[in-house]
Amino acid sequence: MDTTLLVQALVSGVLAAGLYALVSVGLALAIGVIGIVNFAHGEFFMVGAFLAYQLFVTFGIDPVWSLFIVAPALFALGGVIYTSTIRFVLKAPELNQMLLTFGIGIILQNLALLIWGGDPRTIAGISYRGIGYQIGGVSIGLVPLASFVISLVLVLGLYWMLSSTPLGRAMRAVAQNRTGAALVGLEVNRVYLVAFALSALLAGIGGVMIAVIQSPTPVVGFAFTLKAFAIVVVAGLGNVRGILFAALFVAVAESLVATMVPNGDTLRNAVFFAIIFAVLIRRSWRTV
Amino acid sequence: MTVATSRKAALEVRGLEAGYGKIQVLWGIDLDVAEGEFVAIIGANGAGKTTLLRTLTGLIPARAGTVTALGRSLRGLSAARVVKGGVGHVPEGRQLFPLMTVRENIDSGADYLPDARARAPRNRAFVYDLFPRLKERERQLAGTLSGGERQMVAIGRALMSDPRLLLVDEPSLGLSPALSQSVFAALKQINADGVTVVLVEQNVQQSLLLADHAVVLETGEVKLRGTGAELLRHPRVREAYLSL
Ligand SMILES: Nc1ncnc2c1ncn2[C@@H]1O[C@H](COP(=O)(O)OP(=O)(O)OP(=O)(O)O)[C@@H](O)[C@H]1O
Ligand SMILES: [Mg+2]
Repeated sequence: MDTTLLVQALVSGVLAAGLYALVSVGLALAIGVIGIVNFAHGEFFMVGAFLAYQLFVTFGIDPVWSLFIVAPALFALGGVIYTSTIRFVLKAPELNQMLLTFGIGIILQNLALLIWGGDPRTIAGISYRGIGYQIGGVSIGLVPLASFVISLVLVLGLYWMLSSTPLGRAMRAVAQNRTGAALVGLEVNRVYLVAFALSALLAGIGGVMIAVIQSPTPVVGFAFTLKAFAIVVVAGLGNVRGILFAALFVAVAESLVATMVPNGDTLRNAVFFAIIFAVLIRRSWRTV
Repeated sequence: MTVATSRKAALEVRGLEAGYGKIQVLWGIDLDVAEGEFVAIIGANGAGKTTLLRTLTGLIPARAGTVTALGRSLRGLSAARVVKGGVGHVPEGRQLFPLMTVRENIDSGADYLPDARARAPRNRAFVYDLFPRLKERERQLAGTLSGGERQMVAIGRALMSDPRLLLVDEPSLGLSPALSQSVFAALKQINADGVTVVLVEQNVQQSLLLADHAVVLETGEVKLRGTGAELLRHPRVREAYLSL
């Protein structure tokens, strides 16, 4: 087997893991704090990507700067969706909650299809996209590297926020006991709102990066929902460190299969289901 | 109930109705508690005592009636707003943060209330004085505590909020007789310091001895009222709640 190819696959996997972790911590935040399994999470990611695309096409804004527009925009979108829908189903059965978020996802996806059509959209002619480094035959693109670093900084930033700031402490309190949190003077609904909006913001930033890395279509979001889901299942809830390792594991597995297996590229999504499957079966063995 | 006219009302409840979904639990509760008073609420399992306290703090919405606490109408206020207005609540089931330490749980009572935060060191010292065991276990996660220890943390957390009106739901639950006695003594002391106390208890004898006034709740209605001493002598109370 060609070792350069193997190393290249490993490196690509590691770099992709950053973005996966970023999208996954957002999903885990919504599940952990609010208890909502948000199947529209990947759609926030997609909206972020297409906002960046549109900002580039209409105003010529470079995606690097779009980050600072898309982040607050997605925070606001998350806030509006929480206030107008999610908060009404907090006590509803889980199946109803999932149907609601699934529906929100489909609506966002179809709106994007109406506006942008189904073809891949490329942010053309960004100078830094072509920049890459060669180390012993292994190439590292500047864009994947930057997306890895930005993602890692945001994930660690979220970890720090949750563990060391008053807002983070409030989120942990609300997550651990809603009634107790209300009785110490926390507006539970407001904390939920901020957590949900923050989760959308993180996904949106990921979306801006995918708009540069790939040429996304309006269905890019669902694939990322699945990936984030797989990662959260592997990591278990409530720990950011676990998500980093799970993202690494999942992304490297995907990259290895895509590179080393003949026709592996078509198996990318199968890798995620195989991992979810294996982890769940293993857990059920352990508990028997 | 005879309210001393010279004293201001700490709590005034009129025609309060509440419930869960299609089930109505409280059917028109009237209750007056004067500032500085110690009032006990007794009643059988399922009578609606916990529901009453939960409605007072806004954890569940009132369906009818009014609640005025510390001179303020509580209509439509969230639990957080009620607590910020000086009402402390030791809830049934303790409602602690299991993945936080004892110290974090206790401090959380003051963390979100600016006035209480300023007095946190003094109040924490009082709580640790009351429950020395909590000081020993300061760094233990609340989720790994024994039932009695959890109860102590729940009481401590409410005391940290420096309440002017304290609602306490069965504080003796799970505590040894000796420790129950110190909790009752502490409540009496807090009351003597000027805090109005509303106590729900299964330990009827003890709470009637402590209370200035008491009410007996049955199926969501106030069936009897009187001073603690009066109710202790009341034949119906003696038969149903004291098994005498
Ligand atoms: N979440 C709920 N949903 C539906 N019914 C409830 C709920 N909580 C309590 N109830 C019902 O309301 C009634 C009053 O309950 P509550 O907890 O107020 O009683 P209690 O007087 O505190 O009893 P205990 O002494 O056992 O604590 C009971 O019949 C109970 O079954
Ligand atoms: Mg009760």
